[in-house]
Amino acid sequence: MKISSMKYLTKEGFKSIWTNRLMSLSSIGVLVACMVLIGIALLLSFNVNKMVGDLENQNVILVFFDDYNAALYGEGRLVPPGAEVDENGICDQMYTVHNTEEAKAVCEELKKIDNINTVEYISKETALEMIKDILPEKDVDYFAVLEEAGENPMSDGAKITMVDLEKFDATVSAITSTKGVDSIQSQNGLAEKITGIKNGIFIAGIAIISILLIISLVIVSNTIRVTMYNRKLEISIMKAVGATDSFVRIPFVVEGVSIGIISALLSLGVLYCCYRVAVEAILSAIGNYTLIPFSSQIWLLLGVFVAIGVVAGSLGSIIMIGKYLKREGSEFAAI
Amino acid sequence: MTEEKQTAAKKEAPIIEFKGVSKVYTSGTHALNDVNIKINDGEFVFVVGASGAGKSTFMKLIMREEKPNTGSIIVNGFNLPKMKHKQVPFFRRTMGIVFQDFRLIPNMTVYENVAFAMHVTGADDKQIRIQVTKALSLVGLHEKARSMPNQLSGGEQQRVGLARALVNNPRLIIADEPTGNVDPTMSYEIVSLLTEINKRGTTVLMVTHDHDLVRDFGHRVIMLEKGRIVADNAGGKIHENQ
Repeated sequence: MKISSMKYLTKEGFKSIWTNRLMSLSSIGVLVACMVLIGIALLLSFNVNKMVGDLENQNVILVFFDDYNAALYGEGRLVPPGAEVDENGICDQMYTVHNTEEAKAVCEELKKIDNINTVEYISKETALEMIKDILPEKDVDYFAVLEEAGENPMSDGAKITMVDLEKFDATVSAITSTKGVDSIQSQNGLAEKITGIKNGIFIAGIAIISILLIISLVIVSNTIRVTMYNRKLEISIMKAVGATDSFVRIPFVVEGVSIGIISALLSLGVLYCCYRVAVEAILSAIGNYTLIPFSSQIWLLLGVFVAIGVVAGSLGSIIMIGKYLKREGSEFAAI
Repeated sequence: MTEEKQTAAKKEAPIIEFKGVSKVYTSGTHALNDVNIKINDGEFVFVVGASGAGKSTFMKLIMREEKPNTGSIIVNGFNLPKMKHKQVPFFRRTMGIVFQDFRLIPNMTVYENVAFAMHVTGADDKQIRIQVTKALSLVGLHEKARSMPNQLSGGEQQRVGLARALVNNPRLIIADEPTGNVDPTMSYEIVSLLTEINKRGTTVLMVTHDHDLVRDFGHRVIMLEKGRIVADNAGGKIHENQ
């Protein structure tokens, strides 16, 4: 198609938005409502995902290494025949991690496991401090007694976080089978709950967005159909003077896409205002929690809205005009 | 070949040719029965007949709005029954169509209505300006280029329709009762205009019910009755062949 024709048809498309302004306005209104709902669903799922992510980070697995203390306080370890034992009855063949260097080497091995996010080495001294922080006062006294006696029942270990909690079981079994690991402490139930929430949000998000997308498509198609019947005369003359189907179609596509893009831009503005109000309300209700800033998602949301607008606009008009041209478009003579 | 002979040969070449054309609609109506007709390049032909005689179908077949059940139709060198859907727009650009109800777009000016037919062909703005001005001058409406259709009389609106049909310099003009919605004086003016256009070499095929017009202008007359051509006379004579 020639550039002059494209220019003319684009102009005609824009003119039609103005000529059918009431219809265009109502379509933009409903499309904005759909897009804002899609935006809310997206922002909600981003924020819930962030919260779940924060929870995931807090869902730490504590790994205790197979060191002297594990041998000392553990049970069922046999002294190999002929081995020399110390005053506690422990020999160095009864445990695999003998010093800090070996403990750090185990940490390096753990890092190599798939799905491991972070591995933080915890010395037995740090572990003792940590346990004192979380235990009740009376138990702290017990540790103070031990400390005074120069004893530390804690083993060297590591604090591990995972990338994906769905692979929790496989990762845990890989950790426990690593040489140097004696035992682990984890919250399996929490991991399952988090995974469930994440999957639920994903499915609900997809369902909501799909329904709203279909609604958007129907709305644009309907607008185009009304516009088309309003312009029946014009189309019949177009056909009579030798317009190709694409010539007839382009102004409608321009109209549909323009309505889509205008709606996308308006939706972004409306969503921004809604989000600001919502963030303030949520923060005043739940206190000091950081929600995802709107600015960090602005391009994604704009992209999604424009894509919805363009797809709904072009597809809606192509489908409707295609049907029309097939059924009625050739009837131009009223002889 | 001399210029005169060339003109004579051109005049004798059929621009429309129907050979054994029949059309039966799915409802069972036999609209046309074994129609054979030749209309040569440069002719002015009136098509007359009562309602239901088959005039509509005859015109629809020429414009390739309908396909015949049997027979062949050649218009402007296009074999219509065999033509692909994609070729139809390009075929229609070789003819100009004038409608009884003018079919002007109400929210477009006179100029835009005429230019519209050129935009369809992909003409550039300069070409459009020149051609539209020429066509409007020919029908005597260049001063009303900026008027809206509702500001014009019926006769003026039909002249805009005529300018639109002419603007792409077609070889053939199909006029469907162009005088049906205008007063008798204006009817004569419109047919005079069509005759003028015909004198410049454009073939004109006009459907009408107005026998006075047919007699007064004295062109070839094709009369349809019950889907058959019952008369084909020169000189505006309306009567059956038998």
